[in-house]
Amino acid sequence: MQIRDYILRRLLVLPLLIVGVSIIVFALTRIGGSPIGIYLSHEMSSEEVAEIEKRFHLDEPVPVQYFYWVSGVVQGDLGWSGVAAAPVTEVFPNKLAATMELAVASAVVAVSLGIGLGTYAGARRNRMPDHITRIVSISGAAMPLFWFAIVMLIVFWVGLGWFPIGRSRPEIFSSIAHPTGLYTVDAILAGSFTAFRDAVWHLVLPAVTLGYGATAIIARMMRSSLVEELQEDYVDAARAKGLAERLVLRRHARRNALMPTVTVIGLSFGFLLQGTVVAEIIFRWPGLGRWMADSVLRGDQATIMAYVLFTSVLFLFVNLVVDVVYAFLDRRVVLGS
Amino acid sequence: MSLEATSQPVIKPPSESALRVRLRRTREIAASVLSNPTTLAGLLVITAMVGMALLAPWLVTPNTPDPAQMPRDWGAIAVPPGSPDHPLGTTNVGGDVLYGVIWGARTSLRLSLIVVSVTVAIGVTVGSIAGFRGGRVDEVLMRIVDVFLSIPELIFALAIAAVLGPSFRNIILALAIVFWVKYARIMRAQVIHVKQNEYVDAARVIGDSPWRIYRKDVLPNSITPVIVQATLDMGNIVLVGATLSFIGLAEAGLAEWGVLVSEGQSGISGGRWWASTFPGLMVFLWALAFNLVGDGLRDVLDPRTESR
Repeated sequence: MQIRDYILRRLLVLPLLIVGVSIIVFALTRIGGSPIGIYLSHEMSSEEVAEIEKRFHLDEPVPVQYFYWVSGVVQGDLGWSGVAAAPVTEVFPNKLAATMELAVASAVVAVSLGIGLGTYAGARRNRMPDHITRIVSISGAAMPLFWFAIVMLIVFWVGLGWFPIGRSRPEIFSSIAHPTGLYTVDAILAGSFTAFRDAVWHLVLPAVTLGYGATAIIARMMRSSLVEELQEDYVDAARAKGLAERLVLRRHARRNALMPTVTVIGLSFGFLLQGTVVAEIIFRWPGLGRWMADSVLRGDQATIMAYVLFTSVLFLFVNLVVDVVYAFLDRRVVLGS
Repeated sequence: MSLEATSQPVIKPPSESALRVRLRRTREIAASVLSNPTTLAGLLVITAMVGMALLAPWLVTPNTPDPAQMPRDWGAIAVPPGSPDHPLGTTNVGGDVLYGVIWGARTSLRLSLIVVSVTVAIGVTVGSIAGFRGGRVDEVLMRIVDVFLSIPELIFALAIAAVLGPSFRNIILALAIVFWVKYARIMRAQVIHVKQNEYVDAARVIGDSPWRIYRKDVLPNSITPVIVQATLDMGNIVLVGATLSFIGLAEAGLAEWGVLVSEGQSGISGGRWWASTFPGLMVFLWALAFNLVGDGLRDVLDPRTESR
């Protein structure tokens, strides 16, 4: 199959999956019956209740209600968030910026550390660095993020006092403008070194903690594919022609070993995205994840729906991009099988 | 020697009965699983944890009236570890950490056993039907599976549990709704693969019914990757379940590891590290042990999909 056909087919399936996800999300909110409860109070007469039912189309059959909801979402109406006391779409961009700053920082940590560790271990197979990397990567899959984050806080915040908690110091936050909501970028735009240092300072601990699980996944994959590549004939050929071992590793083996690693980088993005919920609670990071956690506890259905829909669609897009990149990188892949 | 005896066709009895062959195979698999030191270590941790879960009523005095609730000792608030009454210390609200650690094993065992058996049953059924019947049934079931897989696991479970209302029972239900999908996918792929074997054709030729073919030939030869995944999920489910209860979806005061970590969280800024550290460590060890054993099982039972 041609790459173009493959991409086209994936793009055609994508809307179907998104519709499927939206049906599940809508069905979720109807498990507990009609959501009319949030609009009602004790003083209302039955006429007033009927009037509200009519206004929000709750007197219609459920499939029709779904249609009304979807047309609202498409027009950018995601409902009212009780937790934020504002329309969901109004609060969303700011929270999204906070979460994205954290997730991207974690991804940078995870990808660079994961590939570095994996390469280091794979080139020293069955020696000490390899064993240590193995322990790191095995424990990564089993590590409860909520516990790891608390342990990091106990050590680096309470114990050593090296890192702060939260997203910025209030006086530094108010000293510059925030056009993008990404504090590091805002600081660069404002040309303020103090603000930039403060933003990075607050980012380090949550980003490293959140990135740990993904680091483990990437390191494990990188190590095993590097070990495989190092047994290939072309590596022997490169060595035979007298290429330095360092260059054999860098120019030949590592480049090829990166290919399968690309797929797990996509996979670990899902891991990071889910992790933000827990990391944001513990590090008091005012992003989407913490908003979701608050909404879950206070039954804020509009926010829950918006969050699940958004993360799933993002997840689908990332997976699509990763698969396409992988298809381009490795033409041997039997596409579509 | 009589002539009759020599003219009879010689039918040599099989040197081993079917049962003995099966026993020998099991012993071989067990030996090769146990020869891996990390698998063995995992198995020891699991044995200790499960032992703790089963013996919990004898290891600590069960709280009355409900032993699954944390006992509160209001005379001993935020006691550090090492005190004779509370060896692992107490929380800010007088919960005995040791009680939570031990009874939490019982809660976790219950959670993982229920969710794994329910999800395996649903997943194997759906996957078998899809793979065995094929055609439009397969197409419809697999599209449903695809949609379920589009929503990140933890977030899906979080949303379901939130809509159902905060309780440990609803956490179990939410995890069951989310985790069956993987088994359906694994089982379908296996069944499609096994179905193409000659022994299945042979069974069809001698007139076996589809149900008999499924039960005798397809199912036993497809189940191995499901067993591996179920072992890994015994750990994963406790990990995700504890995360949900940490976020606050279980009843407050439940003797469960995630709840206890959350209860201890408020004390850490005051230097009270113990209340969160010990129960969280239990979640880690539980998940780690099942991961090690799952990986070990996969290496032996299913060498094709070698773990990376």
